[in-house]
Parts: sequence; structure tokens; C-alpha cells
Amino acid sequence: MAKHLLTTSVGSFPKPNTLITARSQFRRAQISAQQLREAEQEATRQVIALQEALDIDIFVHGEMERGDMVAYFAENWQGFSQSLPVRSYGNRYYKKPIVENVVSLGNSVGLTVDAWKRASELTSHPVKGMLTGPYTICDWSFNAYYPDRRSLVMDLAQLVHEEAMALARAGAQYIQIDEPAISTRPDELELAIEAMAVVTHNLPAKTISHICYGDFETILPGLYDLPVDQLDLEAANQHFALLDLLARYPWPKSKELALGVVDVHSHRVESVDEVKAGIRRALEIVPIENLLIDPDCGLKTRTWEEAEEKLRVMQKAVEEIRQEDGLR
Amino acid sequence: MKTTVMGSYPKILAGSGPSVRSAIQRFEKGLITPTQLFETYSEVTRRVLDQAFSANLDRTTDGQIRWYDLFDPVVRDLDNVHSAGLIRLFDNNFYVRHPLITGRLQYQGGTLAAWSREAASYSRVPLKVALPGLFTFLDLQEDTSYGNTDNLLADLIDVMRLAVRHLASTGVVEVQWDEPSLAYSSSSWSASRVQEAYKTLMDPEVEIEHSIALYWGKSSLWLDTLSQLPLSRISCDAVSEPRVLDILAVDKLNVAVGLGVIDARNVRMEAPEELIRIVEPVLRQQGDERTWIHPSCGLEFLPPDRAEQKIHLLRNIKLRINA
Repeated sequence: MAKHLLTTSVGSFPKPNTLITARSQFRRAQISAQQLREAEQEATRQVIALQEALDIDIFVHGEMERGDMVAYFAENWQGFSQSLPVRSYGNRYYKKPIVENVVSLGNSVGLTVDAWKRASELTSHPVKGMLTGPYTICDWSFNAYYPDRRSLVMDLAQLVHEEAMALARAGAQYIQIDEPAISTRPDELELAIEAMAVVTHNLPAKTISHICYGDFETILPGLYDLPVDQLDLEAANQHFALLDLLARYPWPKSKELALGVVDVHSHRVESVDEVKAGIRRALEIVPIENLLIDPDCGLKTRTWEEAEEKLRVMQKAVEEIRQEDGLR
Repeated sequence: MKTTVMGSYPKILAGSGPSVRSAIQRFEKGLITPTQLFETYSEVTRRVLDQAFSANLDRTTDGQIRWYDLFDPVVRDLDNVHSAGLIRLFDNNFYVRHPLITGRLQYQGGTLAAWSREAASYSRVPLKVALPGLFTFLDLQEDTSYGNTDNLLADLIDVMRLAVRHLASTGVVEVQWDEPSLAYSSSSWSASRVQEAYKTLMDPEVEIEHSIALYWGKSSLWLDTLSQLPLSRISCDAVSEPRVLDILAVDKLNVAVGLGVIDARNVRMEAPEELIRIVEPVLRQQGDERTWIHPSCGLEFLPPDRAEQKIHLLRNIKLRINA
């Protein structure tokens, strides 16, 4: 019998202090690129070890080599420059990319493959390949070159597709293409879907798209047409109100739902019971074989201890439900 | 023609100088004291106000440097309202903590007035405060207490009247009600309800101007409704909806208009000649004294160097037009 309610994470993990120091030293030219890589690899080892210890099912590598999910690609691809920091919330800032020319991979074909391979070598669990979707890269950049959003999104879709194919060729069974911006303009949902179709075309892997902090009411049920195998949606942040929305439409049989059950922007660690209650509500809407469980979003904004505790609660909630319901 | 900014300003300034961002980081690590953090906020606020003066603005905010987000001081000043989970602010990669209402609204005051008094005492430009509009607040809050929008709106109006009364004694000359929710495509509020609510909100016994700022959508939908209110200005986002300029070039409003012609969400710099070309027909129809220009929304969506350049672009255009 297949295992039910598989657990996973969305992507980023908090960077250990040793890596934060190494990144700072590298910026000041006090350590070499090789030394920074070693610090990243050591941090990745800790991320993998934590997931092993908690008995998570599908792993992430933790994105120790990335600062921001959009800026990372913009820094390595051609056609972008960087702005001074722009705030996204609280005291969080990012160097918002500026598109100043035609975008291309340049010398960065297979940019994400090495980090994925090194993480995969540390575990027997599958590790997701992590990409940012073309619509989100466009939306979270300043466009100072392309005549319209569509032409930029479609050029980016081709680049993300090539990166996804490189991950698949390297052996990634799961490839996640994050599109958190997809709900921002409901009138562009079709464009985002068209771009995702380019990304996932002939991609020999299970495809996932993570979407969070959006007005889902404006994009359902159209979102179900996004050509990926699994939608990974944030729910705990809004006390699982998302589930009331999802309940309005039949859940598509061909799609999985990865449900966010812990709020990654709150210091408070949820109780096992409240997480279980959220999962139970989801099970009324989504068949158990289609449901996976994870945090709302990447964990990088939490401390290591908070991230660990939230994952522990999530895993315990799932294990208790498996036991109560006689599931594997 | 007059110039203003809309609300927020980057908390990191271009060039060297104090940084709210690094001060918060240092504070959280225990490296600076609460007093030092407080003084950093004050110093950055003063620099924003100095910039408003050097750009020859006719009205400015304090840049909302102390504010976590648009709701922050309002939430601090009300009992039974709490900062809750992050939500995306409309179509931006920018997130705010939505107000969570857990009991009947009660005004305590203190924070907004104190922050505003400090800014007004320093500013050489007449100061306004940009607050969340009634309907933007209603759309983005989470109500676990009232269960009835009419009752919630009535109390919200009441507590905001108190907030405005408190502000009037601080040196602030204008309250700008930010209503992106009305302009945004999914707005479902009726014209009569909006009109009635704002009529009730504006207390004729309190000497302070009221304006409404519409951005990130179709401002034109609300011009008729809002121009019947005793407002000092209706600000429109002509970047999101360029057509509003055509309308304003033909229909004269009863109140002053603000034209958000400078894109506060893109680093592209506008050409002054082009801005003058699109503003002039509106100026002819509305009149010099009743036309303002400003960025399309708060400048915090831009990197600090570009925010500064766009403020100075306002100065440049004003000089050329008024010459």
C-alpha cells in the first residue's frame, strides 16, 4: 500500500549562522568562492540531516546558495541588472532585478543542477529541483526593456524550461516551479498558464507549482488548468480559509494538493491539534491519495529552531492521523 | 500647479547615512539600544522631510518611516484590533499584516498623533498623513467579532473621526484616505455607500483637509461619486489608467485633482517633456490652482536612488510648467 499524506517542505530553510558569516565574508572578499561553496554544502548537509531526523518524505535542498528566489536567477542569467534593496515586508528587502536587455541563460545552463546533485548525494529520499516560474520572475522584476509583460514572460518561460530539462536529465523526479505571483492579476492567469505549459512541455518529472499569499478567490477554478501535477498552496496563514474556497469546486482528479499547515511568518509554533484539524478539513475536499502536507512557504524567515519545531509539529500531526486512520 | 507625494518612502536612503534596515538588524542582535533605534527612525524621517523641502513639494507625508505598513499606527491606536498574518498588498510583491478584529473597536490613540506631531514639528513643507481608507480597511481586515459589515463600518467611521480629531492638533493639515481597494478591479462597494460613509467621517467641526487617493486600478470609476464630497483633492493613478487624463481634460471636477503620472512601481524614468504633454490638457480644464501632480502611489516600491530621482522629477516639471 502506498504511503499516504506524504510530507515535504516548500523550498528554503533558514541559513545557519556559519553560512550567514561566510556570505558576508565573501561579499567583503575575505574568503574565496570555493570556501563559500563549502559553507553552503555544510549548511545543506544540516538541512538534509534535519529532514532525515524528522522523517520527512520528499526533501528540499534548502536553497543555501540563494539569497532571493527571483534575484538568484537574475544574478546568473543575462539581461538583468540589480536595483538597490526594495522592501517586501517588515525588515525584509531584496535587490529587485531590472530587465535591461533580452533575457538569456548566458553561461548558466543548468544553474541549479549542481546544488540539487550535491543534496541528492546526501540522502536516499527524493530531493525536489527548485525553480522560480517565468510569470513570477517577470512580476517581481522591473521591466525596463521589453515592450510588454507578455513578451518578457514568454522569453523567461523558455529559459525556465531549459533549466527544468537540465534538472530532469540529471535525475530529478520532482521539479517545483514556484509561481507565487500568479494570483496578482487574474486577467493574466491565462498568460501564466501558457508560460507554464512551455516550462513543463515534455518534462519527464512530477511537476509542482507553489503559490502563496494571493487572492485565490479571483483565480479559482482557472488555476486548476495550470499544467503541473501538484499545486502547493499556503493555508495556515489565513486559518485554512483557503479550504472553504477549494470546497466550492470539485478537486481535479489528476492533481495533487500540497497543503501548507504551518505559518512561516509567525514565531508562534502551532499545536499538533490545530494542524491535524486543518488536515482533516482538507481531507473532506481532496482525496487522501492526492494530498501532501508541508509548511505554507519557504522557512528561511524563521530561526533554525522555529523551523525545526514547526516541521516537527507538522510531521507529528501527520503521523497521528496516519495512525488514527490506519494508514501507512 | 502643485506637487506632492503619496505616502510611503523607502526606509533605506540613497547614498550614505542612517538606515532603518540596519538599525533594526542591530537592535535585534542587541547591538544598539531602544533609544538609538528610535533616533534612527527620527533621523531618517527628517531626511525624508528635508528631501521634500529641497524638491519644493507643496505637501508631503513623513514617508511613513516608522510604520510597519499602512495599517500599523491605526492598529496600534485601536483596542481589539491586532496585526495578524501577512497578506499580499493587491498586485505587489509587498506584504502587510492584515488587521484582525477580535472585539468592538475602541479608540485609544497616541501613536499616530505622536509620530505625526514629531514630523510636523520638523517639516518645512505642510504635512499630510496617508491612512487606510474605510473601504480598503474593510476589504483587507479579518473580522472575528462583528459579523455585520454595517455595524463594523459605523464603528470604524467613529474611531477614525476620533483619530482625525486627534491629528488636527498635531500640525498635520491634511488626511489622505488611501483607497486602492475602490480602484482595484474587484471592488464591489456601491457609490451611495461610499459617499455616505465619507460624509459621516468628515467632521465639519475639525479643521483639517480630507483627500482621497485612488491607485492601482481605475480611478475614473469614482470621480463622479467622490467629487460630490467636501474633499480638498481626489488623487488618481494615471499610470494604471492613462484614460483618466482624457476624462479630466474634458470634465471639470468640483474639487482639486491629483494626477499620479510618475510611475512609482517602475524604475524607468519618465521624460519631463512627455509628462508635461500629458498633463497640460488637464491643467487647462481644471486650472493651475486645482491641479496637483504626484507619483502613482507610495515610493516604497522603488529602490531609494530611483525614488529620490522621481521626487526631483516632480520639482523639474513643476518649475517648467509654472514658469
